[in-house]
Amino acid sequence: MIIKILGAVILIGATSFIGFFLASECSKRPRALRELQSLLQMLENEISYLSNILAEAFNRIYENTDFDTAVLFGEAARHLGSDGCTADFAWETAVEENYGRLSLNGEDRNILLSFGKMLGNSDLEGQLNNIRMISSQLKVQEIKAEEIKKKNEKMYRSLGVLSGLAIAIILL
Amino acid sequence: MTNSQLRKQKSAASVENEILPFVISGIKDILLRMDNNLLDNLEEIRLRAGKPLMVFVKNADWFVTAEGILTKDITAAYPVSQAEILKTTELMSENSVYAYQDEIRAGYLTLRGGHRVGLSGRVILQDGQIRNIKDFSGLNIRVSKEVTGCSKHIIKFITKKSCDIYNTLIIGPPQCGKTTILRDMARTLSNGAPELDFSGLKVGIVDERSEIAACFKGVPQNDVGFRTDIMDGCPKTQGMEMLLRSMSPNIIITDEIGTQGDKAAILKVLNSGVKIITSAHGYSITELKMREELLAMIKAGVFERYIVLSSGNGPGTLEEVVDSQLTAIYRRQGNDN
Repeated sequence: MIIKILGAVILIGATSFIGFFLASECSKRPRALRELQSLLQMLENEISYLSNILAEAFNRIYENTDFDTAVLFGEAARHLGSDGCTADFAWETAVEENYGRLSLNGEDRNILLSFGKMLGNSDLEGQLNNIRMISSQLKVQEIKAEEIKKKNEKMYRSLGVLSGLAIAIILL
Repeated sequence: MTNSQLRKQKSAASVENEILPFVISGIKDILLRMDNNLLDNLEEIRLRAGKPLMVFVKNADWFVTAEGILTKDITAAYPVSQAEILKTTELMSENSVYAYQDEIRAGYLTLRGGHRVGLSGRVILQDGQIRNIKDFSGLNIRVSKEVTGCSKHIIKFITKKSCDIYNTLIIGPPQCGKTTILRDMARTLSNGAPELDFSGLKVGIVDERSEIAACFKGVPQNDVGFRTDIMDGCPKTQGMEMLLRSMSPNIIITDEIGTQGDKAAILKVLNSGVKIITSAHGYSITELKMREELLAMIKAGVFERYIVLSSGNGPGTLEEVVDSQLTAIYRRQGNDN
């Protein structure tokens, strides 16, 4: 009997753990989207007040933050360093290589890619408009992601615990 | 790396290492296929939308084929597309057009190494002021050459004593080496020239179009001497005044005078006991007199030496040297004018 109870506890513990883990995955995407917005805000400062060139601005952003999403800027800066690489190509490569790892979905990816198209090739006003437009689109994505998160977070947690319980009852 | 590769790298260094990294790959490859000797001697590379790729080398312009061969046959030439020009401008501005806005507005970009890239395209106005240039349709890449010692034969005409010089105006048509000579003069006068028994003087350069010192982020890319201060990208008249006030120069050097207000600024320099060396576009002194601002300066006896250059014997040919009374001190042999 003791072994049975012990087994049931371990089982419930394991399924709950999976549930909580999946729930925490849900909060990754809204966080990434939030981070991206503040990184874009930093980029805005870099190019408007400091008038740094793009590679330099990207590098500073990458080095001065410990957000996971800053890797996009770091990678893009690295690509920009190679000969004959234009900004849109550098950014595109960085996004394509990393969006999955940053828990971003296809929609987010498309928004980020459209950001690259305008990157660096217009005057300051154009750049700022681009940054703000992309920021507001990311904001919308963030709100949506937040809703999904709320819904799924609860579901995964209760599902984890309840499925453990159900299996335990069946087996007992 | 083989020996020939090494040699190539050395000889064509400035074009290959300083210009080509900023040219879109298709055109870069064509230029790299060119003979090393030619590549090294390029004076201008011209990209025009829908027009053949052209280079100016050894006093003539040529079309370039896709194989990198110079030709006079327009049908064999490689046609440049506008997309290639736009991408090249992006690369040249290091993907940061916004950071070079002021330069672009003035119609050029300066590359590291002092190479000047002229831009043409659609100009956007706002309240009658040029706000931006977009849809670039033409690029003129001028290979900057630092020719150390090219003013050697000229400098002896403008030094007065071991620490004094004559106010000098250098006159010449475009592409005859005015700026190159001005730069070499700056270096020689600033460092001093023991062979002429000339001790160095403090030199201030107002480099309105970043051509003399070719500053990249404020640091001169060309050697203009160790007693030299540079106001980069600064309007001439204001720059001269700022230098006078703050840097106590002995000589002020600036490029291409002749616009309204230059005379007043130059007189202010002279009244402070500071010498001036400057240049003007033109083929002869007679031609300069057609321009009001310059005529007034010539009449006022502002300049004590006029140096007339041409490209008769290649860029930097000294045609004549004239003093303030307009009597010739030197005239090139075999010159019919």
